[in-house]
Amino acid sequence: MQAVPIGLKRIAMSLGAALLAIGMGAESHAETVRIGAPLALSGALASSGTKQALAYEVWLEKVKAAGGIKVGDKMYDVELITYDYQTDGKKAAQLAEKLIVDDKVDFLTAPFGSGHTKITAGVAERYNVPIIAVASSEPVHDQGYTNLFGTLAPSGGLIDVMIAEFQKAIPGVKRVAVLGREDVFPNLMAKLMADKAPAAGLEVVYAGTYPIDAIDHSSSLAAIKAGAPDWIYVTGYSQDLILVRKQMADIGLEAPIVTMITGPVYREFIDALGPLAEGVTSATWWHWGTDYQSTDVFGSTKAFYDAIVAKTGGAEPDYVHASSAAALVALQMAIESAGSIDRDKVRAALRSMDAVTFYGPIKFRSDGMNSARAYPLIQIQGGAPVIVFPEAVKQADIKAFAGK
Amino acid sequence: MSAFIGGKNLGLTIVLGVVAVLIALPFIGDNYLVRLATFLCLFSALALGWNFIGGYAGYPSFATAAFYGLGAYVGALLQNAGTPMPLAWLGAGLGCAIFAAALGPTLLRLKGHYFAVGSIAIVEIMRLLASIFADFTGGGMGLNVPILRGGPDFAGMVFLYAMLAVAAAAFLTTLAVDRGRLGFGLRCIQQNEDAANMLGVDVNAYKTAAFVLSAIFCGLAGAIYASWVAYIDPTDVFSILLTLKVPVMVLLGGAGGAYGPLVGVVAFMAMEELIWSNFLELHHGVLGVIIVILVFFLPGGLLKLRWPQILGRFRAGGDAKSEAKAAAE
Repeated sequence: MQAVPIGLKRIAMSLGAALLAIGMGAESHAETVRIGAPLALSGALASSGTKQALAYEVWLEKVKAAGGIKVGDKMYDVELITYDYQTDGKKAAQLAEKLIVDDKVDFLTAPFGSGHTKITAGVAERYNVPIIAVASSEPVHDQGYTNLFGTLAPSGGLIDVMIAEFQKAIPGVKRVAVLGREDVFPNLMAKLMADKAPAAGLEVVYAGTYPIDAIDHSSSLAAIKAGAPDWIYVTGYSQDLILVRKQMADIGLEAPIVTMITGPVYREFIDALGPLAEGVTSATWWHWGTDYQSTDVFGSTKAFYDAIVAKTGGAEPDYVHASSAAALVALQMAIESAGSIDRDKVRAALRSMDAVTFYGPIKFRSDGMNSARAYPLIQIQGGAPVIVFPEAVKQADIKAFAGK
Repeated sequence: MSAFIGGKNLGLTIVLGVVAVLIALPFIGDNYLVRLATFLCLFSALALGWNFIGGYAGYPSFATAAFYGLGAYVGALLQNAGTPMPLAWLGAGLGCAIFAAALGPTLLRLKGHYFAVGSIAIVEIMRLLASIFADFTGGGMGLNVPILRGGPDFAGMVFLYAMLAVAAAAFLTTLAVDRGRLGFGLRCIQQNEDAANMLGVDVNAYKTAAFVLSAIFCGLAGAIYASWVAYIDPTDVFSILLTLKVPVMVLLGGAGGAYGPLVGVVAFMAMEELIWSNFLELHHGVLGVIIVILVFFLPGGLLKLRWPQILGRFRAGGDAKSEAKAAAE
């Protein structure tokens, strides 16, 4: 429902951008940093795409309030040009090219979703335009592109933290069942778990995947039930996970640990499941309960939290909001430290960046991914996600899911 | 009817004109226009490909994305194995032809709705296969394809010309089929398959030939697409939306001729672009609305409309005489 005014605003914004470009010509261009962003505002990834758009708006408001981006000794205005790519890969590439060629943007950000990030990064690489991804897992960064950077940290670390902490909190966990969605990131998270579990003394009693448009999981869940696991680990997007959890309840499937990547992070997961969400655990790249102080436009994790809550009228930010805003924060910091909007200089600044932001540390590895750091573990307790790890920001202890 | 025959020469002139503009485009237009033109050629190739089996033979095929995706994967795998890009494309076309020739004799025994369901199932099966054989295809992680170096202008030109070549080959093949024995046989099958069989048309061979032709052009287009985007994944190339869009495009223009599919592609893409840029929230319903309009108001497509009559009505104070004359035509 919120999408309509956002959509209209976007049209108005791009129209305005076009008029500005026509009306003022090259002179205004020199005083403005133009950032282009294809966004998934409709289609399968719309819920994440809308969050990305919202985080961008919040960042833009902060930057405008601060008078723009400091480039050398001048303050540059910022123009954010966004289009809806409808969660369609062909359209994502088309719009990335439109942004570079027609809208003459200086830099790009990639859309949510790993596959679409790869597609837009391919276009950016041809034009040598730095592009910052907001949600890219390891395989996105495997093409040797020099212009692609991603704010999300490597996913492998999430698995290590979960295995270590869950085994510590709930002794006797021996058998794990893994179910993953056949999609870049969920697939990777399932594969990593199945690969890493045996080394930690866990027996993998089931390892399977389900297709992207799956509307029934009963056969996989029956097979999992037969394996009598102590830990049920499912990856997918919110809609998949909600369905899996409901079908688990239908067949009475439970285990001491039920982990869903990354369902519990999202408000809609808890809203849709109600009491069924209780006890589900997850790991995430970021949680608003963490506390970083920074010199960026937000200043601290708390300030970012407040800005998003104010903008949404009460909804808490999740890692999508944070990682999206962090992408623009990283770009802004790189422009400021380069003292230029020259693409080569900004790319070099991104490459050598080592900064702490409201989102946490940002230091890009040689493949463009952000480096690993402390990942929070969360669990739904009393109808809300609470942090159960790390110790520094912990809100409650891990509780067993079943057999309460 | 005479106006219509004149229209065909006019049609050829327009097609040649458009081709000339497309060839010149990398030198006169920007890269975004080049990309749109490449999409135009891509969908033209797919629509002309579908037209062989869907338009001439009258078999409602939804297998377009199966061939397109197969072509993309074969092309990508060949390229990853070190095959030069153009050879990989040709290999993909050949692979799709063999696949269709093997599949056709069994699948084409189904008729009507059964064939439609069977053909759409092929897309789903192919997508699942691409997902399952992860060691070979990359599965849900997708498959990287070496990116064509040489800058955006060069890449834009290469892929536009490649797609244009495929679309042009599909168009010329359509003209040859339309005027030849195969086209005649396929039209017989469309009107009454049993009767055609009785009269000595080898219906199975003809249908399979149409299916293979359909597969070749979709496969070539898919392989070029894979090299173009440098990354493919199962949902992107085995897309149900694509498999539905292509027949809608052909039906919009008019099935069973060389020009209808092209008119349909241009009309559909123009409509999509217009609606997408103006009504952000509406585009999901657009495909559905077009299908409804097609069924109720345009059963023969845009080309079969009685344009003289319609234009006559629009003429302010158009005298009844010219309208009657137009209607008589």
